[in-house]
Amino acid sequence: MRAFTYERPTRLDDAVALLAAHGPDARLLAGGTDLIIRLRDGTIRPRVVVDLKRIAALDGDIREADGALRIGALAVMTDIAADARIRRDYEALAEAAAVVGSIQIRNRATLAGNVCNASPAADTVPSLLVYGARVVVTGPAGVRSVPLDEVFVRSGVTTLAAGEIVTAIELPRPSTRCRSVHVRRTRRRGHDLASVTLTCAIDTDGLTRLAYGSLGPRPLLVADDTGLLADPSAPDGAKAERLETLFAAASPSARSMRASPDYRLAMLHVLGLRAVGTAIERLARGSAG
Amino acid sequence: MTEPDAGVLPGRVGTSPARGGGRARVTGRQAYVADIRLEDALHVKLVTLDCARARIVAVDASAALAVPGVRLVLGAADLPDPMPRFGPQFQDRPVLAVGETRYHGEPVAAVAAETRDAAEEAARLVRVTYEELPAVSTIAAALAPGAPLVQDPSMRPGDPLAASNVLREHRYGWGDVDGVTADVVVEGTYAFPMVTQFAIEPHGFLAAPDGDGIAVWSSIQHPNWLQRVIAGLLALPLSKVRVYAPDPGGGFGGKQHAKYEPLVAFIALRAGRPARLVLSLEETFQAVRRGAAEIRVRSGFRRDGSLVFRDVEANYLIGAYADIADRTVAKGTYTSCGPYRTPAARIVARSILSNTTPSTAFRGFGNPQQIWAVESNMDEAAHALGIDPVALRLRNLARPGEVFIPGDTPADGDWARTVGRAAELIGWDTPPAPGRGRGIAVGLKSGPTTGLSYSTVRLLADGSVVIHAGTSDMGQGARTIFAQIAAQELGAPLDWVTVVMGDTAVVPYDQQTSASRSSVLMGNAVLGACRDIQGRLRAMAARLEGVAEADVVVDRGEVRIGDRVLPIRDVLVRGLGRLGGEVIGVGEMRKEADPDHPLGGTAAFFEFNCTAVEVEVDRATGDIVVARHVTVSDVGTALNPSQVRGQDEGAAIMGLGHTLMEHYILDDGGRIRNLGAIDYRIPTSMDLPLRLESDVIEHGDGPGPYGSKGMSEGALLCVAPAVAAAVRDATGVVIRDLPLTPERVWRALNEVAVP
Amino acid sequence: MTADLDASVRIDVTVNGRPRSLEVRPHHTLLDVLRDDLGLTGTKECCLVGECGACTVLIDGVSVDSCLVLAAEADGSAVLTVEGLASGDRLDRLQAAFLETGAAQCGFCIPGQLMAAHALLAANPRPSRADVEEGLAGNLCRCGGYEQIIEAVLVAAERLGAAS
Repeated sequence: MRAFTYERPTRLDDAVALLAAHGPDARLLAGGTDLIIRLRDGTIRPRVVVDLKRIAALDGDIREADGALRIGALAVMTDIAADARIRRDYEALAEAAAVVGSIQIRNRATLAGNVCNASPAADTVPSLLVYGARVVVTGPAGVRSVPLDEVFVRSGVTTLAAGEIVTAIELPRPSTRCRSVHVRRTRRRGHDLASVTLTCAIDTDGLTRLAYGSLGPRPLLVADDTGLLADPSAPDGAKAERLETLFAAASPSARSMRASPDYRLAMLHVLGLRAVGTAIERLARGSAG
Repeated sequence: MTEPDAGVLPGRVGTSPARGGGRARVTGRQAYVADIRLEDALHVKLVTLDCARARIVAVDASAALAVPGVRLVLGAADLPDPMPRFGPQFQDRPVLAVGETRYHGEPVAAVAAETRDAAEEAARLVRVTYEELPAVSTIAAALAPGAPLVQDPSMRPGDPLAASNVLREHRYGWGDVDGVTADVVVEGTYAFPMVTQFAIEPHGFLAAPDGDGIAVWSSIQHPNWLQRVIAGLLALPLSKVRVYAPDPGGGFGGKQHAKYEPLVAFIALRAGRPARLVLSLEETFQAVRRGAAEIRVRSGFRRDGSLVFRDVEANYLIGAYADIADRTVAKGTYTSCGPYRTPAARIVARSILSNTTPSTAFRGFGNPQQIWAVESNMDEAAHALGIDPVALRLRNLARPGEVFIPGDTPADGDWARTVGRAAELIGWDTPPAPGRGRGIAVGLKSGPTTGLSYSTVRLLADGSVVIHAGTSDMGQGARTIFAQIAAQELGAPLDWVTVVMGDTAVVPYDQQTSASRSSVLMGNAVLGACRDIQGRLRAMAARLEGVAEADVVVDRGEVRIGDRVLPIRDVLVRGLGRLGGEVIGVGEMRKEADPDHPLGGTAAFFEFNCTAVEVEVDRATGDIVVARHVTVSDVGTALNPSQVRGQDEGAAIMGLGHTLMEHYILDDGGRIRNLGAIDYRIPTSMDLPLRLESDVIEHGDGPGPYGSKGMSEGALLCVAPAVAAAVRDATGVVIRDLPLTPERVWRALNEVAVP
Repeated sequence: MTADLDASVRIDVTVNGRPRSLEVRPHHTLLDVLRDDLGLTGTKECCLVGECGACTVLIDGVSVDSCLVLAAEADGSAVLTVEGLASGDRLDRLQAAFLETGAAQCGFCIPGQLMAAHALLAANPRPSRADVEEGLAGNLCRCGGYEQIIEAVLVAAERLGAAS
């Protein structure tokens, strides 16, 4: 690894100032499970690494605030997967957090980091999109809250401005009873990067939301408000057709090593149908957790 | 010091005492080569190019040399001219690439610096001017007319194949394949991918000037072989080259032969200081792999299922340098008729050079590729004939003592029993659960064809024992079984036995650790040394007791004279008397070469395994779940049952790796795309068969100590065809290419062509 | 603001119960420092991308891949490595179980397996077999079929349960 200096501010202002002073020569460090790999392979070469973990204003707490569930920027996947409220009300996020790598990775990897790293295959992003997550950031221009859907641009690129730091991710309280599921395609049953990720949520109003990733530059959110997908008695054929329309924007890269584009598209449809079925079953069974 | 309890001898052969070296492994004290600290060592980093083949125009080390702490940058120009070359079969591999790099990862230069950081930084700053050249990385490309040649024809003067990428062509056979008639002929072409050993320990090498010679540390499986290579390259007598071979953290064949030891040795001598090179995992993947293969099998049967002929054409894609790869092709395809009675056979096998990682030995040694083809073909034959796959094997299996390869060792095990046991364990006669399919396959591999192992055993004055044995214990547990043998023969408690390995200055010659040979070859050498000691003890007892030597029996730790039984220790203490001392025994096992034999020698023994699996296939996604995996090996005698189980189950899971998920992904230029652990997948603890069972057949019919045979490759040999047969049984699709990734299975199920 | 790329960082870290004060380079990982600066070579280097688990250690009781942790990040923490499991020459229950079931073959993955198992049992003293498979999924083994390792963890759990 190339040398860099290590800063460990204890105040958020100081972290923002470091980013302002060094611009693209500074990188933020939370869990490190993406950053350190890229430092080692040389794809990024910062002069300064800013460790966020001692900043008093940042935490890994998961708590209710103003009717939303607030997940602190330093919350790691292990804690998210184990949190009773997330498992009950945002179960697909818990399922996604539980498959982001091995336990050793999950003990360090932060949700905020997974979002900011902006990989199209990021497992947590589809569920965050489905739940309408908002990203709270602090930067030179102050504090703002942005829907995640407006944050993610494409691989490695977000709309976060230079010098902005994520302080929390907020999940709005669900307005109706809703059950969800996160599914994915991998090359083995052991932990693996996914070649398709998908979250499906169905609520008691018959609204179906789906978000899928790894089939294009960014995960996409779609919804079916006709009630067809949510209808337990609707035939699979009709649902498959509806899904085909919803997934029309899927554009898997031809360059991927993990799976070919046609297989990915086919799996998106297979997973879509299965996820819809699972969400319906869960809704019928009652509450999660 | 505790007194040994003469009445109880724990750790005798056939039991499973704790592994020798086990305590060190669970406390983190086991010193692998990367853990060894040498005072004043320079850190070495390789400079490589990001392409498969290139003409080296210039190497500019000036920026690298300016990095503080850098002591030298070695390129081809800094080595003797002509470039020193080495290799176990052909002296083709240069110490550093000269003129041209021939595979992705071949080093052009090496940096030696005071710190790892400085070496890494300097390696980045070495400026190589190069011109990428057309490379061949597939069989078709290598064989195409006008294909660029991987090796210069001048490397093989007088060889009619020198102007091609075919390194060698091997032909075996008997009978008249074209003249016999068969009722049913089954033909197919089967492909085996490029895979890598992926031992959890990457390769590591150290070298240091040692008086007027050199000392080399390496995770090498063949220390004496390495000693010879280094001595030859440095023009030193063997006695001035000391090879230390710490226990490798997994070898699987990838650490059998020299890779960068010569380079590190040159650096150490040039710098006058120790030098250390530990490869990254990515560099290890670039350094070693298994040969890939495309094998066409055409088999003829009578209606009743008996084999009439086998016609095999096998093309193995080896790497840019031969290493031991051609031997894997020769030996692996020689047994292409399997363990079956085959009236007529024709086998043509080629080792084909390519601009890829040099392939080398890898558990199975050329057999898994051939067995994938032949056993898949057998399963197809069973379907074509309408005969049960188990019955088809049993009909054709050679019986114990039957010659099934003319001129070679007859069948040395009750293989039908092994098949029967596997079938019994999987419940072959009762149908599988709905939605599941079953498959079965057998695997045969020749053991070593020649061999030489020496051992010295020292029975010390208090009855404790030191064994010198040059085997490399890379996890198979050699150290433990040698100790068990000596403990049994000399009446010492197991924890009074010390085994010394891995130091050519102290341990006598051992040819190599490979071919599952060490239980037999070194085991017999150790046994021989113990028997030598027993002979001396017999003389000692006769003298002490005033009887004739013929009246003394020394057996398994006891001295018996008529009705009297004395522990060895008693006789020893009295016999050595006031001067003390020790009793030294020397043992040797030798299997001579046979120059008339196509492989240079008959098989010392065969490894035989039968694997049966039950799978569930998700037709929509192509996922295979191995619900049950049964593996049964014919081992003669399990010297240490727990270690045998560990090796067989490990081999089974390793076999599932190349069956379900492992393969190098190359781009069109021959560059490896999936270097490293993120995109080269091997099985984790979550990828296991839902139920894995292993068993052994023990008839005491092996040539090793107490009737043992070599083992630990068998359970890998036929995993792939067993799984593919089960997939066919479950879904009806026949797949002839590995690995059976979900995507590949999905394509076959949906008849979707590869894009 | 210029960055002094040669600067070291002072860290105070307790390693296997022993307080250590070290000057470390910022770009050196905890794995580098444990092996090269402290001579604790029990923790192994393999993939360096957080996939193989050979470098697993515990930081404040939590299992992590030390190749993905900068040494500087461990300031103020308690680190436990394989060398810290035994008390003198008395093996802990996991180590003893690994020996008994024959779990260690070449042994290279074993320190990482032990640390992951240690954390697993601390969080889940009565794991099911599936829990153990999942808990060790971040530790690759190439020699064995994982069976004897899994058995060792279940045996150790039983004994720890019986003892408490």
